[in-house]
Amino acid sequence: MAEKVVGKGIKRTEDPRLIQGLAHYVDDIKLPDTLHAVFVRSIYAHARIKKVDVAAAQKTPGVVAVYTGKDISQKIGPVPCGAAIPDMKQPDHRVMATDKVYWVGHPIAVVFAENKYVARDAADKIEVDYEELPVVLDEEKAADPKSPVIHEKIGSNIAYKLTAGEGDIEAALKAADKIVRQKIYHKRLAPIAMEGRGVLARYYPGEQELTLWTSTQIPHLARTQISLMLGFPENKLRLIAPEVGGGFGSKLNVYAEEAIMAYASMQLGRPVKWIEGRRENMQGTIHGRGQVGYIEIGCKKDGTITGFRYNVFADMGSYFQLLTPAIPTLTGLMLSGCYKIPAIQMNVTACFTNKMSTDAYRGAGRPEATYVIERAMDLVAAELGMDVVEVRRKNFPEPFGAENPFKVATGLFYDSGNYQGALDKALKMADYTNLRVEQKKARAAGRLIGVGVSTYVEICAMGPSPALPAGGWESATVRIEPTCKVTILTGASPHGQGQETSFSQIAADELGVTVNDCTVIHGDTAVVQYGIGTFGSRATAVGGTAVYLALQKLKAKATGMAAHMLGVDAKTVTFDDGKFTSGGKSVTIQEVALNAHLAKNLPADMEPGLSATTFFEPKNFTFPFGTHICVVEIDPETGEIQIQRYIAVDDCGKVINPLLVHGQIHGGIVQSLGQALFEEVVYDEQGQLISGSLMDYAVPKAAQVPWMELDRTETPSPVNPMGVKGVGEAGSIGATPAIVAAVVDALAHLGVRHLDMPIKPEHVWNILKKNKAGAA
Amino acid sequence: MIPANFDYITVKSLDEALSLLAKHKDDAKILAGGHSLLPAMKLRLMQPKVLIDIGKIKELSYIKEEGGQIHIGAMTTHFQIETSALLQKSCPLLPETATQLGDMQVRNKGTIGGSVAHADPAADWPAAVIAVGAEIVVIGPKGERAIKADDFFVDMLTTSLQPGDLVKEVRFAAPKGKTGQAYMKVRHPASGFAVVGIAVTLTVDGGKCSASGIGVTGVSSKPYRAKSVEAALKGSALDAKSLAAAASHASDGISDAISELYATGEYRKHLAEIYTRRALETAAGRAK
Amino acid sequence: MKIEGTEKINATRERVFDLLTDPAILQKCIPGCEQMEKIGDNQYSAKLSAGVGPVKGVFTATVSMQDLRRPDHYKLVVEGKGQPGFVKGSGELNFVDDGGLTQVQYSGDVNVGGLLASVGQRMIQGAANMMSGKFFANLENEAKSTDS
Repeated sequence: MAEKVVGKGIKRTEDPRLIQGLAHYVDDIKLPDTLHAVFVRSIYAHARIKKVDVAAAQKTPGVVAVYTGKDISQKIGPVPCGAAIPDMKQPDHRVMATDKVYWVGHPIAVVFAENKYVARDAADKIEVDYEELPVVLDEEKAADPKSPVIHEKIGSNIAYKLTAGEGDIEAALKAADKIVRQKIYHKRLAPIAMEGRGVLARYYPGEQELTLWTSTQIPHLARTQISLMLGFPENKLRLIAPEVGGGFGSKLNVYAEEAIMAYASMQLGRPVKWIEGRRENMQGTIHGRGQVGYIEIGCKKDGTITGFRYNVFADMGSYFQLLTPAIPTLTGLMLSGCYKIPAIQMNVTACFTNKMSTDAYRGAGRPEATYVIERAMDLVAAELGMDVVEVRRKNFPEPFGAENPFKVATGLFYDSGNYQGALDKALKMADYTNLRVEQKKARAAGRLIGVGVSTYVEICAMGPSPALPAGGWESATVRIEPTCKVTILTGASPHGQGQETSFSQIAADELGVTVNDCTVIHGDTAVVQYGIGTFGSRATAVGGTAVYLALQKLKAKATGMAAHMLGVDAKTVTFDDGKFTSGGKSVTIQEVALNAHLAKNLPADMEPGLSATTFFEPKNFTFPFGTHICVVEIDPETGEIQIQRYIAVDDCGKVINPLLVHGQIHGGIVQSLGQALFEEVVYDEQGQLISGSLMDYAVPKAAQVPWMELDRTETPSPVNPMGVKGVGEAGSIGATPAIVAAVVDALAHLGVRHLDMPIKPEHVWNILKKNKAGAA
Repeated sequence: MIPANFDYITVKSLDEALSLLAKHKDDAKILAGGHSLLPAMKLRLMQPKVLIDIGKIKELSYIKEEGGQIHIGAMTTHFQIETSALLQKSCPLLPETATQLGDMQVRNKGTIGGSVAHADPAADWPAAVIAVGAEIVVIGPKGERAIKADDFFVDMLTTSLQPGDLVKEVRFAAPKGKTGQAYMKVRHPASGFAVVGIAVTLTVDGGKCSASGIGVTGVSSKPYRAKSVEAALKGSALDAKSLAAAASHASDGISDAISELYATGEYRKHLAEIYTRRALETAAGRAK
Repeated sequence: MKIEGTEKINATRERVFDLLTDPAILQKCIPGCEQMEKIGDNQYSAKLSAGVGPVKGVFTATVSMQDLRRPDHYKLVVEGKGQPGFVKGSGELNFVDDGGLTQVQYSGDVNVGGLLASVGQRMIQGAANMMSGKFFANLENEAKSTDS
């Protein structure tokens, strides 16, 4: 009997090609006669373009074409935004700048040449005359009526204002014994996918076929949008997401460069390729986060939360990308965290600034929510002199599930949860009580140890269609080939998550074949049925469920066929380990597969072939949760921060492959660590992006990452038949508050209650120095 | 990340390199390990017209001791220094510095000659070569000459190399007697370069410090010798108090401490003091 | 970025003021200044080959002097642009008598844009110090060599 593989931590089938450098990313795809594109981008944050002189570039030998914004901006439709908020002001986002530039990195012209060296040389010869304009950089000051205005037609920098939440917040705060307030920053972060963006476009005029290879998380949605931008039939546009080297949300988008390359390949009659450089990636690929907010949380003396208000200014950047305005709304949805809070209100003021657009970055609005509510819970604990664990426990709901979903004051019904379970397990792993004793001893000896606890819940498996701009379902087709190899076509678009492995595990168990018999195909719109893509921790919970359901259809048909082959009633047939059995007789799935294609012995009413397609629409989101505990030690002389221990207990429902789950948790925690301690996109007062390379923008490296003690609890989701929830963003949501809390806790005896990210050693040193001076 | 056009010439001998340098003058750059030069070229911050690759000159890659002098060829990689049995025994400061330098890829390709010639204000080698009192042996149109490390680093990315010169080797007297050494560094979280880097070598005679060398990198726009620290150590018993007192002079006379996004000049100076003390304590411990 | 400092020049205030407002002298003092042409009242166009060590860029710049009050004060504004980006600087220069010597007190803002700003963050302040150091060293030399 073959061993079941779902739940086993088998190694990723993707890895051999990745490790050996045999995978094909966009830049690895070489077509003859390809032209190479280089963009000229604005070096000013806000300026009028007086003149763009391309004459010298055009004359450069090897240059085939130069386009400026004026040449093509009206020939290609605007860069799409899929989100809509009532009364939202939407600037006309053209593919290149025409009269004005709005951020450092705004494309102004593009050169197409025989090779990238010539293209770059020619781009250097393009002269742009700018007339500088006052810049708007601070999302809070941008809302001030006296601020300079970025989009004259809109007349102010406010993109929208929105109030969300339920319950009577004023009454709730009035009923509180104490109200704790705190201003809080979520600095901009750069997603820094290992592979930047890249596009290769080829047009066959005879066949009128346009093929676009692009590094994206959403091949089908991108195809639809790009076909609309170009006015080109969607069914003649083939979009391929080849190997994609990470996205983290930055490729959950449709970018100007994609449409420009497609347009140019049709105009120039040759393939064109653009590969983003790292500086371009920092300047011209979306950033994440970018909020400054004010917390107001009311509590009773016993720690019961009465109400929570968050007034936030959200930095949109200068234009909307695909989901820019929607991100703060996700923050609003998750402000209740894993607590019973009777009244919640979020007031968002979303503002335009002279910076790159913000958009989805791993967690997309939810890390902000978790950070805000977790910091608020710690502030409440500090205010009341309670332990941070106790104040959390006090406000947890009882364990809940399908029969008693947890309704929160943001309007959501959480699917299932046992917050006490994950917390208890993490506390035990950390030996929390003893940690506090040790901390006290250490403090007495002059050592600064801090313990941070975060109990988080996130919203995943995006998600029911009414909640998503472009549908929240996912598709799968499973085919059993004549040789009984299994082909899985998924509408999800894995780019590092490992679903080629986990979907094969699902199919292997369901069909009684091996993982190696299965292949997962994704990312090619000419091969795969329409799908939504990979983002929002949805690929397994929604896409995997679609695969699972397609397999059930397939099994039903195969069972019918097997019954016919065995000459028995289908109801008597059992299927196990690849064998259909009835009354001592059996046929293998291999025999059934062959029979289905030879079609010589089929029931009268049965079509040949073995293929099934499912479009799975979930009824709700899923809500994974967990507890993270971080222990830090601060160097009292320098303020340097060392993570001593990191404990995480995550609950993402049923687990298909624990190795993949651990990988996701590891990666998420590392990105959280970056946000908490190192990463910050910095524009100077002129709007220059001065954290413009990886020499200054600190993405954590392996040596900076602590050992992680991981475990999990398993509370199945009632939303889908496999009970899975999703895990792609858990680490980046749960970890940031734990790390910040640990540093704050190490300094708590000095009266520190909050520190803004990234917490740099120098800042800690300044606190220590001030305290020393005060004590002296 | 697309460099401007350049000619690439591989040379097999020093003479060939020197005559090409003489011919192309300022248009030429010497390519050693390339780990500073090539990134700058890809950004077009440097656009040499001719790149003279000296990677094939075998005669420039060596670590040897002759007559009490240690010689390290300019093309010796960081990795070779890190793993040199000779240095681990006679001057462990250099292997210790190498282990903290860049990452494995950089250490495998980057060279000590290239690093000192580039003179990044936050590079690690300058602190170490100043601490051991090294001379940079330079070969140029008029032959060979030796420049004291203290005089070699003139300013940010600027050395006393003249047009037509190239670095041939780093040499210094092998430490004698009872010595203790240490290199300590605060790494920039993004670049890995030194926010501060402190290289220390101490010689102990009869329980007292008879000589010391303290090199500091990362703090100022050029690496420097912490002379007041050395003066304070002379004759001291190397006890905790005297080490702390000496270390308090780590940034004496530095008015142009580097401020950037990660750390201000004031913090750098503070780190210099703390890490000098720690490096001294470690070195003193090793000298016992 | 703010830059400020005080340099002592061994000459009278009038002399230092005259030197610092003489385009021919400025050309010699501004590191890498290859040419300087008058384009208006107290306004010049300059070509600079400026940089730090082997990192060099060619900039075309306008240099203008404003608010001239001999021998106390003037404001120097330099705006340059080139392939590595742009540099804009404006500084107030005050000349204070110091027992026959002149203290040049300067304070100003330097803004850098483009490539230099995006990758040069950690070195820009050092570079500015280096350039101003060279500038005043050159000025000191000029004060000496043209001393009558």
